[in-house]
Amino acid sequence: MHTLLNILVYGAVTSAIYAMLAVGFTLIFGVARVLNLAHGAFYGLGAYAAYVLTIDLHWPIFPAAVAAVLFVGAFGVVMERVLVRPLRHSALAVLMITLAVSLLFEQAMFILFGSQSRNVPSFVSYTLTYAGLDISGQRLLTLAVGIVVLIVLYAIIDGTRLGSAILAISQDREAAQYMGIPINRMYSVVMGLSAAVAAVAGVLTAPFLTVQPTMGLLPMIKAFSIVIVGGLGSIPGSILAALLLGYSETIVAYSPWPAATEIVSLLAVLLTLILRPAGLLGKRAAF
Amino acid sequence: MNIPNKARIGGLAALAFFALVPLVTQSDYFIGVLTVCFIYGIWATSWDFMSGLTGRENFGHALFIGAGAYTAAFLGSRFNVNPWWGLPTGAFAAVVCGVIVGVPTLRLKGPYFALATFAAAAIAQRSTRIFWEYTGGEEGIPGLSPLIGSHLAYYYFCLGALVVTTIVLLVLARSSWGILLRAIRGDEAACQAAGINIAFYKIVSLVISAAFAGVGGVLYADYQLAVTPDVFSVVLSITIMIMVYVGGMGTIYGPVGGAILLALLPEMLRAFGEYRLWVYSLVLIFILFFAPGGLIAPICRRIVGVRR
Repeated sequence: MHTLLNILVYGAVTSAIYAMLAVGFTLIFGVARVLNLAHGAFYGLGAYAAYVLTIDLHWPIFPAAVAAVLFVGAFGVVMERVLVRPLRHSALAVLMITLAVSLLFEQAMFILFGSQSRNVPSFVSYTLTYAGLDISGQRLLTLAVGIVVLIVLYAIIDGTRLGSAILAISQDREAAQYMGIPINRMYSVVMGLSAAVAAVAGVLTAPFLTVQPTMGLLPMIKAFSIVIVGGLGSIPGSILAALLLGYSETIVAYSPWPAATEIVSLLAVLLTLILRPAGLLGKRAAF
Repeated sequence: MNIPNKARIGGLAALAFFALVPLVTQSDYFIGVLTVCFIYGIWATSWDFMSGLTGRENFGHALFIGAGAYTAAFLGSRFNVNPWWGLPTGAFAAVVCGVIVGVPTLRLKGPYFALATFAAAAIAQRSTRIFWEYTGGEEGIPGLSPLIGSHLAYYYFCLGALVVTTIVLLVLARSSWGILLRAIRGDEAACQAAGINIAFYKIVSLVISAAFAGVGGVLYADYQLAVTPDVFSVVLSITIMIMVYVGGMGTIYGPVGGAILLALLPEMLRAFGEYRLWVYSLVLIFILFFAPGGLIAPICRRIVGVRR
């Protein structure tokens, strides 16, 4: 019973983090066809920005968190504008430039902060005790904010003019352009949005995960895996896959062989590619 | 093969230069640095054979390198196998990895191959920590017995391996096989319509590329007399890609030059030491924006006077 409850709660928290990472990644791919290898850098940058604002500049945690998210969003917009846009004619060049950005981020953090891990204070010190189970408030907050962020994102895409434009571009870029949708500006907006959502995940998890230069790599690999399993470009697909992977990893972590957690996502990717390459909810056939 | 005489002479001159270096320098350290450069050359050119020719970028070349290195080290340290067995078994292990990653992903359009290779190499690196009883975890497997005792002899052995790799891959790239790969890069749909089994060609090319990378991995393990999880690292895969970019993608010989140049660069710029990757990334951004064809291959072409 105890284990079951643990799995239920921790699986939900993990899934929420994964979903926030994967949704932004799949959004920018669906709209701009950009495979953004700097997505992990957005996540890491969010955590480091929160660290600098709270520890070095002594900001209170909540304004610091908001500022960090806005900063990373702006960083995403600038990156799209300055580095990605001039190279858009070649998919490979775009891939390489996002890779270069993530390398630059990692190295910059190494040089500025060193390789040791940093601590960010918790947002809430409260710990929930229920049925003999201790859950830190920070994790619950992550879960709650994650759900809110996903709902807001869904409302934006489903209910606003901006969202209609995003959907239009992802369905048919040229047609959308002929309808007068400013493609380039939309790319910047979506990159900024995707960066901000990744930063929310980074800021929220910073207090209970390690903040160090290479922190972006593993979450990004998880985001890749989720997006492949859910279907490239499909937002409901990546949320579903995030739940699936989040929970299966948590279950494996409580199994007799917890070390196998890392292999779950690889196995899921291989199975998806063999059985259903388009992903769970991907519309476009991948062949 | 239709190679201009100037290109032949240039290649031989470069070979002669590296063959004569040990006569000039007495420094054991410098010989070691150059040996590593040659191994990087093998990795870069084998990456280029699959990814440069077909345009399907492999983000996890380190997977094959690590598979080769760990197989050789594991057999050598556990079963005391003669180190020479490391070369074929390492290549075989890399080929198996190539099949596992390539078969499901190379049938598909889209970025699946790039994503899967990236993820596979990263997970392989984590696995070395998970299965630490067999892989030695963070410390890796130290104390391998050397392939060739003398450093100088090993230098020539690696130079020879690089030359053989480059020639084999150049011949393949210029054969009808290589032309097909380039055609796949140009227009997959047209190739498919012409009745070419493009998945087969891409998978076999990946397997060839993986085999050479695996051999390079074994050579690296035998140079260091140890393996660590770093041979699987994302940084290594990316370093190799940047070397290929600097050399000129799809030219096979260019990446060899790019690898030797970039592997020597930190030695030349000692001051940059820990900023090595920072310099590399800036070099990459510079090349993407200002020299999309790379540096080495276009310069060679200009000297020899051929256009493509």
